[in-house]
Amino acid sequence: MAAMSPSERRLQKELMSLMKEPPPGVTVDGDQASQNLTLWTVHMEGVPGTLYEGEKFVLQFKFTNKYPFDSPEVTFIGNNIPVHPHVYSNGHICLSILTDDWSPALSVQSVCLSIVSMLKTTAGQFVLC
Amino acid sequence: MAETSEAKASTSPPGGDAGGEEDKRDERMLECNICLDTARDAVVSMCGHLFCWPCLHQWLETRPSRQVCPVCKAAISRDKVIPLYGRGNTKQEDPRNKRTEPENTSAFPGFSFGDGFHMSFGIGAFPFGVFTSTFNFGDSRPSAAPRGTAQYDEEQFLSKIFLWVAILFVLWLVFA
Ligand SMILES: [Zn+2]
Ligand SMILES: [Zn+2]
Repeated sequence: MAAMSPSERRLQKELMSLMKEPPPGVTVDGDQASQNLTLWTVHMEGVPGTLYEGEKFVLQFKFTNKYPFDSPEVTFIGNNIPVHPHVYSNGHICLSILTDDWSPALSVQSVCLSIVSMLKTTAGQFVLC
Repeated sequence: MAETSEAKASTSPPGGDAGGEEDKRDERMLECNICLDTARDAVVSMCGHLFCWPCLHQWLETRPSRQVCPVCKAAISRDKVIPLYGRGNTKQEDPRNKRTEPENTSAFPGFSFGDGFHMSFGIGAFPFGVFTSTFNFGDSRPSAAPRGTAQYDEEQFLSKIFLWVAILFVLWLVFA
C-alpha cells in the first residue's frame, strides 16, 4: 500500500479506536470505512429514555483531504431521519462544531457524542439555526 | 523499545492488564492533539496543550483571524508556544524556524557570520570589541529563541550597524 497522507493516517487511527471502544449506541461500518477512508457510515441507536428510544439512525461522514483542519460533512441518511429542531428533513444537522466551532482536536467520536447529546435535548438548550 | 511496542500491537484485549493500560496512557500523553501521532517538533501552548509544530502551524494558517487552541479554545499564537527539546534532540533547533519560514533559515548564516566577525575583531581593536561583545551578551542572548520575530530582525539590523561602525573604526585607525 502506498504511503498514507496525514489525513488518511489520522482517519485510520480514529477508525481503529472507534471500532475498539465505540461510545454506547454507536457503531461504525468498519469494512466500508477501511475501503474508503473518506466516507464513513455510522449507526446510531436512539438513547433509551428519550423520544428516540428504540429507533435506529444512520449517519454519513464525508472527509476532505484537509481533515482534520476541515470539519467533516455529517448528515443523517436513509429513510429514518430523527425529528428534531436541529435536524432538517433532508438529514442536514445544525450543530456549531460542524462549522464555525470545528477544531482539529475534535474527532468522529466527539461528533457522535455531540449528536447523541443533541438528541437527548429538545429545543431550548441549543441555539436555533 | 521495538519489542515492547510489537507486543502491545499483537496483544490488545479491551480490558488488558493494569500495567499495559498505564503504558498506553503514558504514550498518549505525548501525542499531538491534531494528528494523534507522537508529537514531532513538539511545541506546547500557554494552556499546556501539546502539538507538532507543523500541525499547529497548519491550524493557525487555516484560521488566521481566529487563532485558538484546538483543545480548549484559549488564545494561541506562534510567539506564545514553547518548543520542547527532549534528551534525544541534540540540535535543539526551534521547530518554528524550520522550512515553514524559508527566509529565516537564509537569514541565520548571515547572523552567525556577523557574530564571528565581532569576536575576531575584538582582538584587533580592543576597546571597541569589548563594547560590541557586551552589547551582544546583554541584549541578544536572552531573546535568541524567538527568531523570526520583529525583535530578532531589529537585533540583526543593529548588529549589522555595529559591524559597519566597527569597519569604519578600523579604517579610521589605519588611515589616521
Ligand atoms: Zn501532529
Ligand atoms: Zn489549550
